[in-house]
Amino acid sequence: MLMQGFAVAGTPENLMIALIGCFIGTVVGLLPGLGPINGVAILLPIAFAMKLPPESALILLCAVYAGCEYGGRISAILINVPGDAGAVMTTMDGYPMAKKGLAGPALSMSALASFTGALVATLGIVAFAPLLAEWAIAFGPAEYFVLMVLALCCLGGLVGDSLPKAMTACLIGLLLSTVGIDANSGVYRYTFDALHLQDGIPFIVIVIGLFAVSELMLMLQNEHAASTPITLSGRLMFNMKEFLMAKWTLLRCSLSGFFIGVLPGAGATIASAMCYAAERRMAGKDSEFGRGDIRGVAAPEAANNASANGSLVPMLTLGVPGSGTTAVMIGALTLYNITPGPTLFQDQPVIVWGLIASLFIANVMLLVMNIPLIRVFVAFLSIPNWLLVPGVAAVSLVGVYAVHGTTFDLILGTFIGGIGYLLRVMNFPIAPFILGFVLGDMMEQNLRRALSISDGDVSVLFASPIAIGLWVVAAGMLVGPRLMRMLDQRRTVPAAA
Amino acid sequence: MSERILGGVLLLVSVAGILIGWNYVPPVSYEPVGPRAFPLLILFLLGICAIALMLDKKSETTWAPPPVLARIALLFLIVLAYALLFDKLGFVIATALMSVPVARFFGGSWKQCVLGGIGLGVGMFFFFDRLLDVALPTGLWLNGILG
Repeated sequence: MLMQGFAVAGTPENLMIALIGCFIGTVVGLLPGLGPINGVAILLPIAFAMKLPPESALILLCAVYAGCEYGGRISAILINVPGDAGAVMTTMDGYPMAKKGLAGPALSMSALASFTGALVATLGIVAFAPLLAEWAIAFGPAEYFVLMVLALCCLGGLVGDSLPKAMTACLIGLLLSTVGIDANSGVYRYTFDALHLQDGIPFIVIVIGLFAVSELMLMLQNEHAASTPITLSGRLMFNMKEFLMAKWTLLRCSLSGFFIGVLPGAGATIASAMCYAAERRMAGKDSEFGRGDIRGVAAPEAANNASANGSLVPMLTLGVPGSGTTAVMIGALTLYNITPGPTLFQDQPVIVWGLIASLFIANVMLLVMNIPLIRVFVAFLSIPNWLLVPGVAAVSLVGVYAVHGTTFDLILGTFIGGIGYLLRVMNFPIAPFILGFVLGDMMEQNLRRALSISDGDVSVLFASPIAIGLWVVAAGMLVGPRLMRMLDQRRTVPAAA
Repeated sequence: MSERILGGVLLLVSVAGILIGWNYVPPVSYEPVGPRAFPLLILFLLGICAIALMLDKKSETTWAPPPVLARIALLFLIVLAYALLFDKLGFVIATALMSVPVARFFGGSWKQCVLGGIGLGVGMFFFFDRLLDVALPTGLWLNGILG
């Protein structure tokens, strides 16, 4: 099956698309402010408007996603500003290394770490995804509904600082997904007689508004004097001693990053933070951690890339994305009228295996790009904001316009961007919003199907052991992380006093 | 304070939504759960969250200083104007017009902003419309000249 995937991913066209995607992804990743979700959100409508076949569009989006995870570390190391959220921990040791004149080894080691993480995770996808998909085929509509509740609870429980805020974001997303004509009954819901709302709010309008338009406003708010990057001098490659020092770190963090990534909700940011902390503890007190230890760049980057790839597992096998970026990708599938879910492996082997094979190819490309060609990407750090921001604004609106070509969509997207800005400033997490919007329709359909089968008896949602198990985990995910944090605080307060 | 205001707004939204949604009953029904149940469930939960937001005193938003907020509001209006004029003026002109003030916000000199704006408009038009086949509006004025 994987060979079939390589046949799809290996066509000259798709190789070219993967190469372009890797390049764009790395650039988007290294630009502070723009991360994988913005990159995927902005490119998705363009891929759609170019009439790329679904497998090519997904290869493009995955290459961009993979590239972003590589790119984030470049600005983290050279200007001490993480290019994306997953690279926050990379600044801890990456920037001190760069100040010591070791920018080259820091960049090449983190590239190798990114590659190891991604490779381990992709092998993990090959090993686990088909099994999980087979197991999930037994799910009925009731189990599916609960599974989606679980996904939303996981994400809501883990991100952001306040539970009501995370839940509110998720519910607004769910609510917006109900706008439009109800497919089962033909009733118009919340369309307010607007012709353009009959088919619902277009997914791309929401995505671009939330992740591109609001980002422009945030960039203006956070504008600070552009820091000059540390110039890349001295040796570019890490040496044998540094490699031997980091090899177990690479392997450990790749594996744990993958498993953290598979869990819905726990994305690259959490994985890199956890692995960095664990490695730091293991290294002991007299290590150079925090002052420029090579393991300090290897650990977060391996974990970050492994979990980014790992988060594709629930998306491909269950059709239930666990992160904002994979939610956008699920939206991409539905744009092509492909129903995500456990049957994807059987119904669309070309797409699934093509995508997995392209991950292998993209990561080899990224490794090659990111070690010898690193200077090319460093040059992108000097793009001034006065050119970048209008450019992002224009590309975003091109994306929205490309879908239906209406002014209505553009205006709606701008207003959603304004609301997105307010929500983001008020610390509402945005990933549950988009996940709710993407899952809303599937949730409602599965709920209604389940209740049709049971003839309206709600207890069907709690009937099977799988469903009960999922409910329990969902409740645990909602309160668990906060309970742990509260206990943690209570324990550390007396210690500090 | 901002959390409480937002909570109040959301509570109003959920009450209004429930009132509107109450009428979503299909003329003929084939299934036990109609189109009304799911949105009402969501709105009910949203109402609870809105009340929780109003009662939550822990988190308080720190807004950007007023001059920055004014600039952000202006940026929003510029993007809104861009969205309105995108189709009418055509991509090239609208983009150039939007780029100049936005670039000024981000510290470009007048010369850089004007040249950058024109460059973005023309360059991206050719890149997307001609190279990638993503159709962009040329605007009525250009149709007049070309047609």
